[in-house]
Amino acid sequence: MDIFSIVFYLFAVIIVVSAAIVVMSKNIMYSAFSLLFTFFGVAGIYVLLNADFIAVTQIMIYIGGILILIIFGVMLTSRITGVDIKSGTTGKVQIAFAGVISLVIAITLIFLFANTKWFTSELKPHQSTIEDIGKELLTNYLLAFEVASVLLLIAIIGAAFIARRKS
Amino acid sequence: MPQLDIFLENLKISVGMFIPEFVLTATFILAILFDLIFKKSRNISGYVALLGFIVTGIFLYLQVGTNYRAFADLLVIDGFANFFKFLILITSILVVLMSLFSKELYTEHRKLGEYYSMIAGMTFGMFLLCGASNLVMIYLAIETMSISSYILAGYTKEVKRASEASLKYVIFGAISSGIMIFGISLIFGLTGHLNLFEINKFLATNDVNIFALGVSSLMIVAGFGYKISAVPFHFWTPDVYEGAPITITAYLSVASKAAGFAVLLRFLKVTFIDSIPGSDSIWTTLSGIDWNFVIAVLSVLTMTLGNLVAVWNTNLKRRLAYSSIAYAGYLLMGVAVLDDTGAASVLIYFFVYMLMNLGAFYIVMLIANKIGSEDIEDYNGLGYRAPVLGVCMTLFLISLTGLPPTAGFIGKLFVFSAVINAGYLWLAVIGVLNSVVSLYYYVKIFKNMYLKDVESQKPALEYSAPAIILLMVFAIPTLVFGIFYGPIVDWANNSVHIFLGH
Repeated sequence: MDIFSIVFYLFAVIIVVSAAIVVMSKNIMYSAFSLLFTFFGVAGIYVLLNADFIAVTQIMIYIGGILILIIFGVMLTSRITGVDIKSGTTGKVQIAFAGVISLVIAITLIFLFANTKWFTSELKPHQSTIEDIGKELLTNYLLAFEVASVLLLIAIIGAAFIARRKS
Repeated sequence: MPQLDIFLENLKISVGMFIPEFVLTATFILAILFDLIFKKSRNISGYVALLGFIVTGIFLYLQVGTNYRAFADLLVIDGFANFFKFLILITSILVVLMSLFSKELYTEHRKLGEYYSMIAGMTFGMFLLCGASNLVMIYLAIETMSISSYILAGYTKEVKRASEASLKYVIFGAISSGIMIFGISLIFGLTGHLNLFEINKFLATNDVNIFALGVSSLMIVAGFGYKISAVPFHFWTPDVYEGAPITITAYLSVASKAAGFAVLLRFLKVTFIDSIPGSDSIWTTLSGIDWNFVIAVLSVLTMTLGNLVAVWNTNLKRRLAYSSIAYAGYLLMGVAVLDDTGAASVLIYFFVYMLMNLGAFYIVMLIANKIGSEDIEDYNGLGYRAPVLGVCMTLFLISLTGLPPTAGFIGKLFVFSAVINAGYLWLAVIGVLNSVVSLYYYVKIFKNMYLKDVESQKPALEYSAPAIILLMVFAIPTLVFGIFYGPIVDWANNSVHIFLGH
């Protein structure tokens, strides 16, 4: 096993274990904190894939922004922290059904990833991807870049509308 | 840098062709601004939106006949996109007009600036979706449209079922866009391209693992299926349609479905159909996936489930929601054929569907304004209390069933004949059987209106002249296009060629 695989599996284990805690923990604070490790692990995988810009963005936006917001949200809403999340209401039939579906999907995906000849680019790995991303965003993907800003504007106005107190 | 010069030249032309969308963005912002400036009038942003849509329509009309791959292939401007854009624009205008008469929106000093502005934003997203031919662009357009529709579905915040509808819509939407973007990443991994034209070229020249391609493209189709509420991605539809304000229910059932069908047809045609020049009207599939069969199965499931469940529902909004699921099934029948006749029949049927479905929802809204209920038992004797509404509702329901002499018959005729021409007799038979089921639950509505509670002592329902005039805007074309359908058919046949750029 080379160093690349070792690092990859390390991060993969971190992601899977912490994601499982996010889903299964009954305390919402534990969930929020283990989400930190999930995000961190994903950022690590990005670094491993030479995607430096996305890795930095992942840390800045997800860990620095969204996660802090989630934790603050949980802490400021005093009623949530004390409440245990109920997960016992789903019936046995539903759990069995969901389990079978998840298993089928998992097997399909494993089979798919193991047996497919993926496309390999002839481009050499770059020192840094930021310059290329910048160029692409302002040329070939200019419209997508602009539309994303309209999308965010819509989301902000919508969020403000939902949060507004009744006048 | 010659490359940059070419790009700039291309950009200049592209921006010129983007004017309708620019106007929509401006409308979106101006509607909010006017709402802030003129605090007295609650309608002002509605008028701004109407004006914006009309200006958009003018610029859109000037674009008829252009074929261009704009913004480095992110967006295609062609007759096909143009048809759906017109359809969406007309729906938006009609829904804004409907909203001006809605009582549930105009209660409790609700501010409506965001409402009209979100409609403009959603129209913007759907316009992009009609022309998008890059997977990134498709995803962005779907998100733009979805986020505005989540907010619109829960606009009446104090109503519990509206908030519930909005939340369910968000959760299902998030899952489906997650599945879709996973599919996109798999396709990117297989072909190394996001541009649909490039993917098509790659599939034509290279061998791709069919299993992986099938799974990934089905994932993407699942994302579209969610938008057009095809079974098994329909779970959100009844709850959202029941909970959302009626105007938004009508809007979602027509406009967002139209955008979904536009992108589904374009995705299938551009990506998977052999693009040899001259083979335009016969579509040959490139990959090993039997798309005809996949879509046909989706179609059968969708219409059967939609129709059978509709029978059991007594809330009219919910019943119309299931009937709109069934409609997605009929329309998918036209897609399953995968040729130009099938696609043209989808366009024709959609135009007709827009009129009759909006009309039916408008009447449900008008009646709910007065009696405050959408339950089918409360419709007893309404044919006598509100004669004009009763007659028009009967007309829309006959048209939804697909009986002559209404426009609905023409739409169904074209879809069924396209299906039979392509040799899918079994599919057409299932379609007809489904229509019979739908007849049962549509008839029940006008049976309640005319045959029950005939000697009712309840007072007649009075409606203002503008409200009745708007009703006529839906009713008269539904009748006229049933007899005089040439223009729509011609328009659809001219619009059906998806521009492939050679």
